[in-house]
Amino acid sequence: MPIDIGPRAAVHLLNRIGYGPRPGDVARILGMGLDRYVQSQLDAPADPELDSRLRGLITLDYPISQVLTLYNADQRSVGVILDELYTAKVIRAVHAQNQLQEVLVDFWFNHFNVYIQDGFARYSTAAYEREAIRPHALGKFRDLLGATAAHPAMLFFLDNYLSRATVTVGGRLVRGLNENYGRELMELHTVGVDAGYTQDHVIDAARCFTGWGIDNLNTSGRFAYRPAAHDTGAKSVFGLNLPAGGGQDDGDKLLDYLASHPQTARFIARKLAQRFVSDEPPERVVDRAAAAFQSSGGDVREVVRAILGSAEFWAEAFGAGKPKTPLEFVASALRAADAQVSNGRAVVAYLQNMGMPLYSCVPPTGYSNRGADWINPSSQLYRMNFGLDLAAGAIAGVGADVRGMVRRMGGNSEDPRSVAVTISAEIFGDGLSRSTLDAASRVAPGGPVSVAARVAGLCLASPEMQAR
Amino acid sequence: MAWDISRRVFLRGAGLAAVGVGFHPSSLLVRAAQAAEAGSRVLVQVFLRGGCDGLSLCVPFGDSEYYDLRGGIAIGRGEVVNLDGHFGLHPALAPLKALYDEGRLALLPAVGNYSLSRSHFDAQDFMESGTPGDKSTGTGWLERSIAKVPGNAVTEGVAFSAQLPRSFLGPEPVLVAQTLSSFDLRARNWRAEAETLLRAMYDARDDALGHVGQETFAAMNVLLRTPAIMAPPAGGAVYPNAAIGSGLRQAAQIIKAGIGTRAIFVNVSGSFDTHANQLAAHTLEFPRLADALVAFARDLGGLLDDVAVMVTTEFGRVAFVNGSAGTDHGSGHCMILMGGRVRGGRVHGSWPGLGRSQLYQERDLAVTTDFRDVFAELARAQLGVDGSSLFPGYTPGPGPGIVA
Repeated sequence: MPIDIGPRAAVHLLNRIGYGPRPGDVARILGMGLDRYVQSQLDAPADPELDSRLRGLITLDYPISQVLTLYNADQRSVGVILDELYTAKVIRAVHAQNQLQEVLVDFWFNHFNVYIQDGFARYSTAAYEREAIRPHALGKFRDLLGATAAHPAMLFFLDNYLSRATVTVGGRLVRGLNENYGRELMELHTVGVDAGYTQDHVIDAARCFTGWGIDNLNTSGRFAYRPAAHDTGAKSVFGLNLPAGGGQDDGDKLLDYLASHPQTARFIARKLAQRFVSDEPPERVVDRAAAAFQSSGGDVREVVRAILGSAEFWAEAFGAGKPKTPLEFVASALRAADAQVSNGRAVVAYLQNMGMPLYSCVPPTGYSNRGADWINPSSQLYRMNFGLDLAAGAIAGVGADVRGMVRRMGGNSEDPRSVAVTISAEIFGDGLSRSTLDAASRVAPGGPVSVAARVAGLCLASPEMQAR
Repeated sequence: MAWDISRRVFLRGAGLAAVGVGFHPSSLLVRAAQAAEAGSRVLVQVFLRGGCDGLSLCVPFGDSEYYDLRGGIAIGRGEVVNLDGHFGLHPALAPLKALYDEGRLALLPAVGNYSLSRSHFDAQDFMESGTPGDKSTGTGWLERSIAKVPGNAVTEGVAFSAQLPRSFLGPEPVLVAQTLSSFDLRARNWRAEAETLLRAMYDARDDALGHVGQETFAAMNVLLRTPAIMAPPAGGAVYPNAAIGSGLRQAAQIIKAGIGTRAIFVNVSGSFDTHANQLAAHTLEFPRLADALVAFARDLGGLLDDVAVMVTTEFGRVAFVNGSAGTDHGSGHCMILMGGRVRGGRVHGSWPGLGRSQLYQERDLAVTTDFRDVFAELARAQLGVDGSSLFPGYTPGPGPGIVA
């Protein structure tokens, strides 16, 4: 009997460019054609259904100044604001039609990481994602880089708002520079730590951004350039020489230079390939993605298109899969269970236990992009429990009716094997192993927890569910 | 991740450890003899992520350059907890003075390695792999250490961390847990069935995903069968409510329970990356550090004789203050060492000085002790492991003589 590879390919695509299939997705995207599905994901059209799910989260669009005003009036208000941000993140991952866009928003936020618990970041992280990350997730890398560099959340998190020219006063050296942003800009955001830059380059990169600050941390929280703080001397950064006398544009010129540097193309291409293809992506796909980056002037859409069009990407459909991060696992399980998320608080607590609290990676490095780094007994236990709890309908703020879902998909919700086979078809492209199917099918009849909930819980806790 | 099944042995069923097939019997005997002296000693590594400033842990108040370099964020001569007339503890670390005076706590400034680079990620990676400058090392230094200790119980190496630390990367099974409590499946009314069927799924696989499931159930087995592990702190010990407190509290629990744990890693990510307002950050973090170490010593009581704690970080910070009342990334840092066999009550190593020509690249505290020499010395003392082959491409020196 010939094997139909369509469902496996569809599941692969849904797992890699999004947070995995919902029941019915495989048939739907095979019906429209995988090419058209990819194109629609790259286009990311309006998603009114998602908008209506988010409508109740009224603080999502608040500018920083409004958040600060509320906070100054009542400090407890920030708790509500953060809750809404977290809930929105979960709702988007689970319910957005534009799955690729949500994956990339998460990817770029993590690439340009800020830690939400760090002082002013509490009041500016929502605005940071909304203003600096989301509009450019499928756009130009230079726009992402510029928007993050000038955003108060980043200026605060990497201390640039404090950085001033070092001056001599009365023969005494008064140091003003803060190297933090200058270093991470090169190491984490653009050319990468192995590019070959020196400590002197780090210092001069930081000098380029002296004066890039925040007008008032307690009220308006807006970007402000302070000419008096700027170091107007000549600078030399990794091949870029800027003459003395520059101002705010020293920083812009350095961003232009770094955004178009071949090492940046390669660094970003590799990281995207690592997200979409494998922990150690083949050089061929990195080459292809880096070439697309350079020929398109750093257009993220074209880089992703190049990766999705590679043989290496599709070969992964038949590999062991890339282990999911906690967010990928949780979102994919919620989608697999056809869950309806109204409040993300309980889900966020699971993510915390799995080691990936939302917006809360302390180092500027961001969370690991390697799946293998997320596999350990502690996380594994919480993952299995999340799957079991989800199928049992025991997660607050989440509606899940696996019996109804199995019936809608044509299965018999009282027959363990039928439940397992239905889930394998809808979520795994018939990819559940014999041992997993057999184990799930051994669920005993009767008992206080329904057959469908137990079988679905086991499938969501299975080894296959841990990878994408 | 490379998995060598021949070296992996799991605790199964009744918690009985089988013997791996990868060992030649005579090599097993040699290793057993080497390890016999170390007996049941334990090595605890606390890793402060972010690059903790060594000049603030162990303040060189006798060095006049220190005050010139640090300006407004220097710790005043009247504030330090004087140790030896030249060095003093940060005032927020004052609770450690008693342990120092009892000879159970020592400091080692100017430790590190110049190849660590000033990148957080690279420096942590290089330190945890034990191979500065080489990113290709597939294992961590603690993993290589416990691999040389006979036995492969999943609780031999334990990490209190959300993720497997790079230090433990490799084929040896390691228990990674944020919390030891409620380390159990939550399948109310069908727990036994869930465990049986999930085990069947994971036991059927011989890959990384299968192994992690098997390790999870093995760990669950040990933890659920060892109620002593949940014993409250002894000796009136009170741990601070912070990552380092819960990490060391649970490290003590697992040591007191006596389930064969030899190496423990406690992951701490706090406000140590003090580019700005360093004094405020240390006022928050250092009392937690001191209180956690004091509580740990009190909790363990006499058991501390067999335990050595090493508090480390990825790099030190620039010797001079920056423009934000903070310090940027530097080189030499400071380790805190504690334990019954630690030669305490002294500041180890050699002090490079803070004069302009004495600083590394005219900015960082210089390195006079390679961190691998310390790692090797502690691995030898606590795990009975020959340190000479622990670090590919490097033969550790005799070490700073931290352990008696």
